[in-house]
Amino acid sequence: MSSPSANLPGGFLPPDPRVEEPYRVTPQAAIRIAILGVVAVTIFCALFFRLWALQVISGERYLEVAKNNQVRTFRAPAPRGSIVDRNGEVLVSNRPGTAVQLWPAAFDQATPETQTFVVHRLATLLHIPYREIRSDIAARKDDLLTPITIKENVNEEKINYLLEHQNDFPGVQINQTYQRHYDEGGIAAQTLGYVSEISQQQLDAAKGKGYAAGDRIGQTGVEATYDTYLRGLPGIGRVFVDALGRVTSARQFQQLPEAGDNVRLTIDAELQKTAEEALAYGVRLAHDDGQWAADGGALVAMDPNSGEILALASNPTFDPSIYTGRVDKNDLKELADPTANHPTLDRAVAGLYPPGSTFKPVTALAALETGILSPAELIQCTPKEVVDGQTFTNWDPYANEPMTLTTALAASCDTYFYQVALRFYNRTDSPLQKWARTMGFGASTGIDVGPEATGLIPTPAWRRHYFKTEIDKIWTSGDSVQLGIGQGDVLVTPLQMTRFYAMLANGGKLVEPHIVQSVEEPATPGQPPVVLRPYSPKPAKDVGLNPNNIRVVQEGLYDATHANYGTSAGIFGSFPVPIAGKTGTAEKFVRLPNYQGLQDQAWWCGYGPYDKPSLVVCAMIENGGHGGVVAAPVALQVFQKFFDVDPNSFNASVGNSD
Amino acid sequence: MATIARETRAARGHVGSEVGAYLRHLDYLLIAAVAGVITYGIWVLTAVTRNDVPGDAGYFVSRQEVYIAVGAVLAAVAVAVSPEVYRRYANALYAVAIALLLLVLVVGDDVRGSKRWIEFGSFRFQPSEIGKVLLILFLAAFVANRARSDSPWKTVWGAVGFAALPMILVFKEPDFGSTLIYGSALLAVLFFGGVPWKHLASLAIATALIALSALWFLPAAGVEVLDAYQKDRLIGFVNPDVDPSGTTYNVNQSITAVGSGGIDGRGVAGASQTNMNYLPEHNTDFIFSSLAEQRGFLGAAILLLLYAFIAWRGIKIVAIAPSLYTSAVAGAIVFSFLFQIFVNVGMTIGIAPVTGIPLPFVSFGGSSMITTMLMIGILESIYVRGRLAGRR
Repeated sequence: MSSPSANLPGGFLPPDPRVEEPYRVTPQAAIRIAILGVVAVTIFCALFFRLWALQVISGERYLEVAKNNQVRTFRAPAPRGSIVDRNGEVLVSNRPGTAVQLWPAAFDQATPETQTFVVHRLATLLHIPYREIRSDIAARKDDLLTPITIKENVNEEKINYLLEHQNDFPGVQINQTYQRHYDEGGIAAQTLGYVSEISQQQLDAAKGKGYAAGDRIGQTGVEATYDTYLRGLPGIGRVFVDALGRVTSARQFQQLPEAGDNVRLTIDAELQKTAEEALAYGVRLAHDDGQWAADGGALVAMDPNSGEILALASNPTFDPSIYTGRVDKNDLKELADPTANHPTLDRAVAGLYPPGSTFKPVTALAALETGILSPAELIQCTPKEVVDGQTFTNWDPYANEPMTLTTALAASCDTYFYQVALRFYNRTDSPLQKWARTMGFGASTGIDVGPEATGLIPTPAWRRHYFKTEIDKIWTSGDSVQLGIGQGDVLVTPLQMTRFYAMLANGGKLVEPHIVQSVEEPATPGQPPVVLRPYSPKPAKDVGLNPNNIRVVQEGLYDATHANYGTSAGIFGSFPVPIAGKTGTAEKFVRLPNYQGLQDQAWWCGYGPYDKPSLVVCAMIENGGHGGVVAAPVALQVFQKFFDVDPNSFNASVGNSD
Repeated sequence: MATIARETRAARGHVGSEVGAYLRHLDYLLIAAVAGVITYGIWVLTAVTRNDVPGDAGYFVSRQEVYIAVGAVLAAVAVAVSPEVYRRYANALYAVAIALLLLVLVVGDDVRGSKRWIEFGSFRFQPSEIGKVLLILFLAAFVANRARSDSPWKTVWGAVGFAALPMILVFKEPDFGSTLIYGSALLAVLFFGGVPWKHLASLAIATALIALSALWFLPAAGVEVLDAYQKDRLIGFVNPDVDPSGTTYNVNQSITAVGSGGIDGRGVAGASQTNMNYLPEHNTDFIFSSLAEQRGFLGAAILLLLYAFIAWRGIKIVAIAPSLYTSAVAGAIVFSFLFQIFVNVGMTIGIAPVTGIPLPFVSFGGSSMITTMLMIGILESIYVRGRLAGRR
């Protein structure tokens, strides 16, 4: 018998090495067979216990899960409210369209090859780059339950193709959507704003306000400010789907979509069109001069008594319909290109410019109210003025005569205002700046579309705080002189200027400019619209000016458009409706591709009719040259439209320089 | 001549009585249990695949019936063939297995990223299934032939070495499930081949080290052994809520299906998880989930009890086997059968990792059905010879 170490363990095989067969189970082998039996029992027990736990104990719960499994909740977008002008003319409405969407959850289940295949076919079918679809899908990796809109407004032929080949496009579905439609073309683009899919940041910021991924949300302008009213209530419903996301039942709504409310603007579409055309004309006019960059402008037309804005134009502008449907990245690139000069910027509200001579009424009123100037006082209007060794020139080098305030305003005499401004220099309490602030500068106007720029009224304290070097920190007499004619560091928005001229027109009250009149229920045909929420601006605030002082300035503005020495008398002198207004030409240091150095910002602000003002207009051409030459004719066109004046009934020539 | 004729007649009579004895000593309980589970499997497959092929409700079942017929013929042949034949030609069987597994890597059909099938016209054949039987027959011969050798170490590591090659080949396909089954067969052959406990223990430690290095050490050193999906499945198995829509999606859907079946099932029409394709591969790997959803705990329990019955008869055959070789073969067949059931059913209820192992006798597929029936035939052959030997 061999030793146990060389053999199988003792007792596993029959003891006699020559006898292997017939084989008999030894006790050692029996143990191992018994172990197999125990393993078998253990395995079946484990399976039975687990099945018992799943099916008998938790069966109800899993049944519930299974029942919900094939149900998918969906959001049906509500038709967004329309935006109409003050007369009910539709500016922005909705077009129903068909969108091709992808259920990420279903798509995710497909094999990588199928996914690549599906995206390739979609890319070819819908003419969208393969990579763009891929990156859209990747962006929604963490949210598999919201459909991704691949393309909106897909034509019927392609939709039918997709429906017929559903099996080849797992996860692809067709859905009804609404698309913004701009009935009046691209008018008031910056004011109306645009709508696009909500971003992740916006979603995070608006938590709890009922927004969901994939929603479309107003991004700028009225669309953004009044999004809560416009967007309505999306419908929520359920459909049964199979594992590939193919819908297998009719849609059942738990909540039907509720259309958004309409928003009625104070804008007059016709006047708005005129304003935009006039502005474009002004820019062209200035550009043709060859001397000026003239790359944009802004115009505000407002009711001086109520603050209702009738036209709000900004140039250059853009076509808001590029944001509807799938946004073409090239379009966005074009918009962002420096040569496009920021077409999405609403220059009327957010553009900052030195006001130039249009600021002179501010200086005049501040001086009168402070008591350092009397209306009848004669001050010599000289070709130039030397202040503390620094020479400041008058725009008209031939002027040399004593002037009263009204004359100085009408002729826009710079040297007259230098001397008045100098009187403020010695005052420690900065009365000019204080009055400027009281009259609405250096702060937002409170208009209901934004973002709004606040502008800058420079003070000695601001200089100390803002500048670094000791020399720059000092407020000099030159600073006072510059501020007196709206030059130097002062910055205003066209809207602030409009509001100030409205104050001059209405006798000293600051109005709250606004662009929305009311939120209305969508009108059923033949019924008048039901106003849900009228816009209630803050009541116009009396700034506490002496009415006599205002009257003096009004006279000055009237003379500016009517006296033979008035700076825009050539334009408005024979206009049938009495208009009062002021030109402005403000130097600004700019760096533009072909224009380096000082460029003039052309302004004209004014109102009419003189005795009973119903419209105030402020026109500004960016780097456009002289206000009387390019800005005043722009404003004239708006007045002409508003008062419905026959262009042949008067004779408009070019205004004076300033 | 007459003598010869008489002798021949006598021999015939002898042969006749031999065949009669043979047939009398078959394990009819095992045959009945297998027939039962096959019938049950057909019934399950009919219900589960009713809507899978539009316009042809019997598409899968009619094919499965053909496979069963082929399997029955092969099983009958296996019952007649003495296991000693396999022992004699063990090396050839091993060579055939390796050749098939190499062939599939070269000419195999790529289905969802893995090469597991060789195509013959309209027929698809999975070498890893038949390889399982061939490997068991070879390994048992290798171990049994060395039973009285002076070096059990060489026996153990020799067997490991011979098993490693086909395991690596199926792992390459990749077919992680078959790799595990081959491993289980190796373990069972060594176990019932009488390898000493201390060698089994050292083998267990070595296996644990390999598993750890595949999952942990080597990846840490920058060498990836498992594909990302294989690793995800193993990790997902441990923690199913890591990624509910990704890797573990299938398992969660499967658990939902099983659980929703309740005690008596949702019926064929009501089984939404199956009918709406939430269950992936519900006619093959996940067929147990569909059964559990449609027929509930009762329906699943009937199948498991049938399996348990087969296992019991199998264990009896291990005990009755007439030689160490046949005992090792029977042990390996029974253990790999149990292992396959546990991994497949366990996967569908979340207590085993997801691997593409079919459910014996129930999952749709010819290779698996034929191989499993062949294994039952071998078991019967061992049983008959064990009983006849005992009678002597």
